[in-house]
Amino acid sequence: MERHRESRWGKARVAGLGIVGALAAAALVAGNAAPATAQATYEIEPREPEYLYERTCGYCHGHNIAPIIRGRQLPAAVTAAIVRSGMGAMPAFKPTEITDQELQALTAWLEASEADPEEHGA
Amino acid sequence: MSNGFSRREVMAIGGAIAGTAVMTPLARARMLPAEMDRDVFAGVVRELRAIVGDEWVFADEASTISYRKSGIPDLRGEHIPSGAVAPANVEQVQAILAVANRYKLPLWPISTGKNMGYGMATPASSGQMILDLKRMNKILDFDAELGTILVEPGVTYQQIQDYIDEHDLPYWIDVPTVGPIVSMVGNTLERGVGYTPYGDHFFMQCGMEVVLADGTVLKTGMGSIENGNTWQAFKWGYGPYLDGIFTQSNFGIVTKLGMWMMPKPPAYKPFMVRSAEVEDISAITNVTRPFRMNNLIPNAVMMMGALYQLSMFNRRADIWQEEGPIPTEVIKNLARQNELGMWNTFFALYGTEETIAATEPIIRSAYETVGGEVLTDAELNGNPYFEHNKALMRGGLTLEEKGLVRWWGKSGGAVAFAPVAPAKGSETAGQTNLAIEVMNKWGFDYAPAYVVGSRELHHIIFLMFDKGDDENSAKAEQCMNEMITRFGERGWAAYRSSVSTMDLVAQQYGDANREVNARIKQALDPNHIIAPGKQGIA
Repeated sequence: MERHRESRWGKARVAGLGIVGALAAAALVAGNAAPATAQATYEIEPREPEYLYERTCGYCHGHNIAPIIRGRQLPAAVTAAIVRSGMGAMPAFKPTEITDQELQALTAWLEASEADPEEHGA
Repeated sequence: MSNGFSRREVMAIGGAIAGTAVMTPLARARMLPAEMDRDVFAGVVRELRAIVGDEWVFADEASTISYRKSGIPDLRGEHIPSGAVAPANVEQVQAILAVANRYKLPLWPISTGKNMGYGMATPASSGQMILDLKRMNKILDFDAELGTILVEPGVTYQQIQDYIDEHDLPYWIDVPTVGPIVSMVGNTLERGVGYTPYGDHFFMQCGMEVVLADGTVLKTGMGSIENGNTWQAFKWGYGPYLDGIFTQSNFGIVTKLGMWMMPKPPAYKPFMVRSAEVEDISAITNVTRPFRMNNLIPNAVMMMGALYQLSMFNRRADIWQEEGPIPTEVIKNLARQNELGMWNTFFALYGTEETIAATEPIIRSAYETVGGEVLTDAELNGNPYFEHNKALMRGGLTLEEKGLVRWWGKSGGAVAFAPVAPAKGSETAGQTNLAIEVMNKWGFDYAPAYVVGSRELHHIIFLMFDKGDDENSAKAEQCMNEMITRFGERGWAAYRSSVSTMDLVAQQYGDANREVNARIKQALDPNHIIAPGKQGIA
C-alpha cells in the first residue's frame, strides 16, 4: 500500500469542495444563498492551454491513469492527431469539444512545456 | 487552422495512429446511410452545411474519426457513422430535422459522446449521421434559492462545477464515473447514476425541452405555462407525465434539461466497509437494504469488487502473466497489499457533525455484525482507492475509472453489462456465480461493483478486453452475448446497454413492450429518422 500512497496518488484534482473540515466550516445553506437567478453565458473560445490541460488532459495524464505528456517535447501535430482519434484507451475529443484553434495552442504548449515533478505517469 | 498543421493533416495522422491494431480495416471506413446513394448523400451534406456552416459538418473518413472511437467490440463495422453535424441552437436542430425527413437521413443525437462502456458516440447501426449537440453548451439558468439548473446538452459536469465555484454557490454536483468530460443531459437521459444523495439523476430531473421529428418544440411539465416560473420546481405538470418517454429513447431530441442540485451539507463523512471474502456480498447487501429504504444512509451504497478497484491503477500484465483468468487468491493478496478486501462497501453520511455522530454507531454496528471492518479517513486517508470514492460521494470530478479501459494494455477495450435485481443477498450470490462462470469460460476477469440504489440492486460488470486483438475482441463479444442471454433466462435484465446489444436486451423486455414503443415511435417519428435502433426501437 505504501508504494501506491507515495507513487501513484498524484496531486488531488477534485474540483472545489475539499476536505471534511472545510465542509464542516461551510455556512449552512439557508443563510448563504446567492442571487436568485444567475444567468450564465459560457464562452467556449478561446480557452487557454493550461485551462484545458487542467480540466481535461490532466485528469488522466500525470494522474496515475495515462502517461506523462508534459516536458517530453511531444510533436504538436502528433499529439493533436492522438487527441482527435483517441489512441488506445484514450477517448477521442471532437472539434466541438476542443476547437482546432484551441488544439493547436494546447499541443504547442505541451511540446514546449516543462515536466511537472508532482505528476505521476502510468 | 491558420498555420502549423491543417485539420486534414491532423486527422490523417490520427487515422494512421489509430489504425495500428486498434481498429479493423472495416472500422476505418465511413459508412453511408442504408439505402442512400452517394450523390444523394453529397446533396444532403451540402444542405446541412448551409444550415450550420461548412466547419460544423464532418462527412469524410478523416474528419469523422473522433466520432468512430469506442471501446466496445465492433469486428464487423456495425457502428460506424456516415458523418456528423453540429448545430448551435434549436432552430438549427429543426432545420436539420427537416432535411433528414426529406431524405430519410438517420440522425444519432449525442451530447458529448462519452458514453463509456456503452459505445461512446457511435450509433446503433452504421450509416447514421451523428447529431452532435456539444456546441449547445450554455447554463441557461441557475436558481440559487431553489437549487435548480437548466442546461443545454453540451454542458459538462466540469462546466457546472466551474460555474458553482465562480459564483460561490452553496451546491454540489452529482457526477457519473467520468464526470469532467460528460454531459449532464446525456447522462441523465441514459438514466445514469452518481454517488451523492442526488445520485439517481433522472429522479432529480425536472422539466425538459424536446424537439420532435416534425420540428415541434415540446416543453414538458410546467414548461409550457404562459408566464410560468415553475418549470424546474415541479416535475409532474398536468396529465400524462411525458419526460420518461424521452429517456433511453429515440422519440425526440432533448435540447434543454432541468435538474435539482444538492445543497452543500455542513458536514460530510465517507466510510468504507472492508469484507474479506467473495461470499460476503450477500450479507452486506442484506445489511445495506434497510438503511437505503429508511434513508439512514442517504446515498446509493457502492459495493466495489477488489478487481474493479485494482484495475483503475494497475495493468493486468503486472499482476498475472499466465493463461486464463486471474485466480481469486492472487486478487485477494493484491487487495490486501492495498488495504482492500474482496468487497469494499462505500457510503457516506451528510448533515451536521451532530447528526452524523448520532447515526454512525447504528450503521457501524450493523456492518460489524456481518464481519465488516468499518473504516474512515482516520484509517484510510491517502489510500487511492478510498480517496477515489470519497471524492465521488461528494460530487468530486475524476477520470480514474478510465483506467479500467486499458487493463489489458494500451489498445484499450471495455464494455459494460448492468443487470438489475431486487436488493436481496440471495440475488447477489446467484449473479456473482453466474458472471464468474461465463466470464472465466471466455478467459476474462470478473471485475464487478454492486450498487444498492433503493430497493434495487445494480450489478455493474466491466468486461475488460484487448481491442487491439481481434480474437480477444471476438471472445468479448461472445462473452457479453452469453452473459446477457443467461442472465435474462434467470429474469435479470440490464437497465442500459451498449449500442452493440440494444436489440438483444430489448427482446428480453417482451413483445408488448416493444410493440407499444414501436407505436409511439411511428406516431412521433414516422420516417424513423431519430436514432433508429436505440434501445431496440426501429
